[in-house]
Amino acid sequence: MSQASTFQDEHVVHAHFDFRLWRRILAFGRPYLRLFGALAGVAVLVAVCEVTMPLLVGVVIDHVTEHGVDTALWPYGLGFAVLTIVFAGLIYAFIALAGRLSIAICYDIREASFRHLQRLHFGYFDQRPVGWLMSRLTSDCNLLSRIMGWSLLDVVWGTCMLLGISAAMLILNWKLALVVLGVVPPLIIACRWFQWRLLFASRKVRKANSHLTAGFNESIQGVKTTKSLVREKRNLEEFQALSDTMYLDSMRNAVYAAAFWPVLLTICSAATGVVLWYGGLNVLAGTLTVGQLVMFIGLATQFSNPIQEMSRTVTMILGAQASAERIQQVLESEPAIRDSDDVRQRIAASSGEKPDSADDGMAETIHRVSFENVSFAYKPGQPVLRDCSLKVEAGRTIALVGPTGGGKSTIVSLLCRFYEPQEGQIMIDETEYRQRSLDWYQSQLGIVLQVPQLFNVTIRDNIRYGRLDATDDEVVAAAKLVNADGFINELAQGYDTKVGEGGNQLSTGQKQLIALARTVLSDPQVFIMDEATSSVDTETEKLIQSAVDRALHGRIAFVIAHRLSTIKNADQILFVDGGEIVEQGTHHELIARRARYFGLYTNQFTEEHEVRVLAGTEYKVDIHH
Amino acid sequence: MRWTHKYLMLWRQMAGQRLRYLAALLALSVGIGLTFAVPLVIGITIDHGLGGKPIDRAWLAGMMDAETLRDGLWWLGLLTVALAALASGFMYAEGVLASRASESITRRLRDMLFDRLQHLTCRYHDEAETGDLVQRCTSDVETTRAFLSTQVVEIVRAVANLLIALPVLFWLNWQLAIASTCVLPVIVGFALVFFRIVQSTFKAMDEAEGALTARLQENLTNIRVVRAFARQAFEQEKFDARNTDHREKHWKLYKVFSVYWSISDFLVFVQMGLALFFGAAFVAGGKMPVGELVTFWLYVGIMVWPVRQMGRTLSELGKALVALQRIDEVLSAPVERDAPDPPIGLPPRLDGRIAFRDVTFGHREDQPVLRGLCFEAEPGETLAILGPSGSGKSTIVSLLLRFYDADSGTIEIDGYDLGRLPRRYVRSQIGAVMQEPFLYSKSLRDNLKLGRHEAPDEDMIDVANSAAVHDAIERFDDGYDTMVGERGVTLSGGQRQRVAIARALLQDKPVMVLDDAFSAVDTKTEALIVSFLRRRKGRATTILIAHRLSTLMHADRVIVLEDGRVTQQGTHDELLRTEGLYQRLWHIQTALEDDLKEELAVV
Repeated sequence: MSQASTFQDEHVVHAHFDFRLWRRILAFGRPYLRLFGALAGVAVLVAVCEVTMPLLVGVVIDHVTEHGVDTALWPYGLGFAVLTIVFAGLIYAFIALAGRLSIAICYDIREASFRHLQRLHFGYFDQRPVGWLMSRLTSDCNLLSRIMGWSLLDVVWGTCMLLGISAAMLILNWKLALVVLGVVPPLIIACRWFQWRLLFASRKVRKANSHLTAGFNESIQGVKTTKSLVREKRNLEEFQALSDTMYLDSMRNAVYAAAFWPVLLTICSAATGVVLWYGGLNVLAGTLTVGQLVMFIGLATQFSNPIQEMSRTVTMILGAQASAERIQQVLESEPAIRDSDDVRQRIAASSGEKPDSADDGMAETIHRVSFENVSFAYKPGQPVLRDCSLKVEAGRTIALVGPTGGGKSTIVSLLCRFYEPQEGQIMIDETEYRQRSLDWYQSQLGIVLQVPQLFNVTIRDNIRYGRLDATDDEVVAAAKLVNADGFINELAQGYDTKVGEGGNQLSTGQKQLIALARTVLSDPQVFIMDEATSSVDTETEKLIQSAVDRALHGRIAFVIAHRLSTIKNADQILFVDGGEIVEQGTHHELIARRARYFGLYTNQFTEEHEVRVLAGTEYKVDIHH
Repeated sequence: MRWTHKYLMLWRQMAGQRLRYLAALLALSVGIGLTFAVPLVIGITIDHGLGGKPIDRAWLAGMMDAETLRDGLWWLGLLTVALAALASGFMYAEGVLASRASESITRRLRDMLFDRLQHLTCRYHDEAETGDLVQRCTSDVETTRAFLSTQVVEIVRAVANLLIALPVLFWLNWQLAIASTCVLPVIVGFALVFFRIVQSTFKAMDEAEGALTARLQENLTNIRVVRAFARQAFEQEKFDARNTDHREKHWKLYKVFSVYWSISDFLVFVQMGLALFFGAAFVAGGKMPVGELVTFWLYVGIMVWPVRQMGRTLSELGKALVALQRIDEVLSAPVERDAPDPPIGLPPRLDGRIAFRDVTFGHREDQPVLRGLCFEAEPGETLAILGPSGSGKSTIVSLLLRFYDADSGTIEIDGYDLGRLPRRYVRSQIGAVMQEPFLYSKSLRDNLKLGRHEAPDEDMIDVANSAAVHDAIERFDDGYDTMVGERGVTLSGGQRQRVAIARALLQDKPVMVLDDAFSAVDTKTEALIVSFLRRRKGRATTILIAHRLSTLMHADRVIVLEDGRVTQQGTHDELLRTEGLYQRLWHIQTALEDDLKEELAVV
């Protein structure tokens, strides 16, 4: 349970660029080298255009001052027009190219991560909250692909701008140029300092914001408790402490942001001042024209942009290092449960022409499943299952009963090969199940979960999830077998009814029936069911009961059972507690023993009857006849 | 809602910060004024200092002549730096003032929303969706904040730029001024029209993103089902389809952006070109000195970029207004109001005599839950309520806590009409345990002491022991300091119920209500707790909603509730003798014995 804290979002900022963290991410750029090349080309051209602009202005000014009234301005006008059009075209090209690149890379990273997740062993998901995984495939992906797409552009463009501006100035007047270039180092230092601060400040804001959201959430969900405890005022005070923190953090961020641009402006104005003074002296001395002075002023004001962009890029890359690390972690985690080399060879041998086949060349039919002295621990030193042995033949049902946390679910998880035992063996007929193909084995299982999970598609598609190539008739037949056909037909859209997010358009009982139909359709050799504990109305209860009986019929069945009728119908009952099978036998044998099962039975008997008594009259008849 | 109303709403929200905004506006104006002085200095320097043209403008000629300028280039350079530095100072002040104002507004908005949420009627909360409410309080507030802190400032800056620059430009040369600004309205208009047209592209992108996220979420939450049916390939295919769609929509969006930015940059350069070449023609014709052209050129450069930005911002104004409206809906939703004339001289602690007299209530008018309910509970009595689900048991608790008010009939506590008592007072007399208790994401200690902060730890441990949860708490690594909820441990349903019982015990109120508070607690533990409650007899009027006979047996009196009325009441012994629900429950024991006899006979 303490795992939750391990997977909270870390707000780590690495101070230095660490290439190892980017290895996998950079590899995603390899297929797009030509796009990168084109982008770099466009970036160079944009920089050239931008440097040309102030030069053109200076030339025009010189031209009109020299030639006066009888001047022909149109060649310059034409030049300006061409430059404007070319520039607009370049802007189009660079946004489109950088966009295309980042979108393509985003798609690839996400696709690869998803594909990898599907391959990972089940335990991986057991330990990680859904939100944690979600943010890897959404925000981390977005951030990294944006960096991949835009940072190259920024760096190439920025470098070319700086080089171009410097070159133009040096050619015009190298002494003046050297003086003006003196503003570059302070500009770089200021940018780095501010952006670094802003990065930290904005992270703090985000953290404070997530606390606020949690606060709102709690106030809504706990509103009745709050009211009954008359805690409104105290809650508000506590919330105000949070919103004060948010205010202070936001203000810190805002102060840095407010100072950033004015500081750059002041530094750049130093360059203008120098041009006016030193350049002015040159004009007076005749070594510089007025137009050239204007060029210098224009070029000097352009310094801040590339420096700002490049330092922003560097900050962003450093800030995203944690994201890169997280994606890399996902991509590099190895599935802990997969086919052994031996099994893979057999699969390859038996299904040469069908690469996706799971056939491992061994018997298709399962006659018997057995546990032989199986032990298991999620964490070393804390065994949850000890030396457990059991055996189920085809056509038989085993009921697992016992208190919560006793080890029932673990038995099922091991049976499903979501986990593998650390000691002992689980046998399919005469073969240890690790000697069989994982895909083949799992596709022979039919699993019904305690809380039915449905997809937000139609009822038909939900049932068809059990066997994708089933015809509509087969879907209906499965629904009929589990008594779901009746209520489905009563819905306005029948089988085409969308079940809503998590199936919330349906009642719990209806969801259970559909989940059952889905599993029946897959016609599994081994049926595994974690019976629902949540109560449904008596009518549905009966429907489910007879559906379960029919679904289990003729298969190897494991049921984590809660209802007496299910338990009593089982061929074998295992009472599991403390990671061990405490009692084992038929219902009558265990009742006669008058021990743990007996206690469970009497409790359950009382509770079920209490519910029925409260539900209505049905029970009255029961007692009196 | 009329649009004027929306702006009025905005104006109201600015209350208390308007002076700060005004100060920011002043600082901004001074800053811009100073910024605009720089090109003027440059122009004058070029014409008179460098060009040697005699100063013809009277206001300037009075101060200096061309020679002074020529010899004082050093000072002019310093002046531009000084002007820029001063302007920067004012801009910084503006930035800080505006942020302070907008952040203060946002903070107040958040606090108001939080406070409102707590005081909204339960009816409102029943109907509202949590996700939607949270979104209104977070992302809508954030949209408003962004609007107040950046968008308003950007628009004001662009407008202030224009307001300050235009008079100067027209004063210098009105013809060139027209040429230098004529494209600006086009730039703004283009942004407004463009973003209206491409709105659907944004929407399509949002939807594609939503669909992708939903797909991902579904796959990850249902990973058990995916694995159970070995449907990885199928899932991959579905995900890829969404991912591809997202890529296409995203790509369309980028195309839209590249069109927008290239065209608007084009327009910007057209504007600058017009200024440059019209000006050049003037200079060539001898109608204007070259320095003035430089001034114009620099002015256009300062003005045009904020104007371009403003176009984009204006097109997003609608979003902020919608967000504000959604916030306003919460802020104007009905809150719980107390009767205007509460009885005076209320004792700090009531005795806990409760009476329901002919109470009728329904969440919907046509479906009454309680139909003329009558019962009484004496101070210190333990009254159990038994009834099938839907008979109105929980409603009794809700009415007692005044989450809702009865449609007709009266509820009295110590003879006071509940409806006339202040809600805070009523609730402060009742310790309630709900069926699905809510724990705050605080430490267990804080959760236990929620109702009585000043309680010493010994008392807390006492009640935890009574509620049979002390040992469970001690087993956590951090004991009573263990955090509950998202950032801490997840408690089982039974543990949560027991913590809530302990919490209510610690409150030690004259009335205690347990609404099916043992449903997730095993029978043995339940018996322990109930027998403790019994030993506490007389300390509080206890209303116990339960369905297990083992619990009901301990009550002084049991009332049986069916279809919103009391159908039976009496002590355990009385009810056993009468045909009814209670008796039927009792017969389960007999049925069990019969059943066991039968089962054992088979062996």
